[in-house]
Amino acid sequence: MLMIWDVFQGSFNSEEAENVVKEGIESVLGGDDYSQTHVNKWTAAIVERCLTQLVKINKPYKYIVTCSVMQKTGAGLHTANSCYWDTSMDGSCTVRWENRTMYCVVSVFAVCIA
Amino acid sequence: MMEESDTYHIRPNHRFKFKPAVVKGYIRNIVRERLSDVQYEPETVAELTRSLAESVKDKVKTAEFDRYKIVVQVLIGEQRGQGVKMSARCLWDADTDNYAEDVFMNDSLFCVVTVFGSYYY
Repeated sequence: MLMIWDVFQGSFNSEEAENVVKEGIESVLGGDDYSQTHVNKWTAAIVERCLTQLVKINKPYKYIVTCSVMQKTGAGLHTANSCYWDTSMDGSCTVRWENRTMYCVVSVFAVCIA
Repeated sequence: MMEESDTYHIRPNHRFKFKPAVVKGYIRNIVRERLSDVQYEPETVAELTRSLAESVKDKVKTAEFDRYKIVVQVLIGEQRGQGVKMSARCLWDADTDNYAEDVFMNDSLFCVVTVFGSYYY
């Protein structure tokens, strides 16, 4: 049987992943305001949705998706990442999203298995 | 860049497997050492976050987990009584791949460091 990773020669398409993530965030948070009771469910739904859509792209990657939601109170937030991997195949993308009441930062790390 | 050599190993030897407890210890030590007396300063925190991620990665590399790719994520936020929630979900090989995480807080900032280890067959 010819598996997809036998013929895979591409690299991670971060633009495509970015669109997937943006859609994922929009569809979950949409026009909602920050709510302590919902935030658990939201972050879980965002990573779940992003992962499901990424898998549909059908590339030989393992995926790691992280999502942080923070209430806006004027506090600052910084995130950075550092990876030890094959830079020609593996890749990441980070999407920043905000509305009136909260920030949302989603990162996707795609680790090639081919 | 990682070495590109084909092997017939499809599972890491137990001794060289990614060990979450060990990595958690590394994170804890580095973060405590670097952040204990640090106040949140918007001008310096960007560089601090980056260098922290770099230090943790370098430390994890010294553990010589065999054929593991390492992803380190650092999040530093200012403490102002706001709500924060972080989630992660992975599609990977639960047999070989793992993660470690540690949270640090002082009265000015909070810091979450997560390290993911993914086995390269």
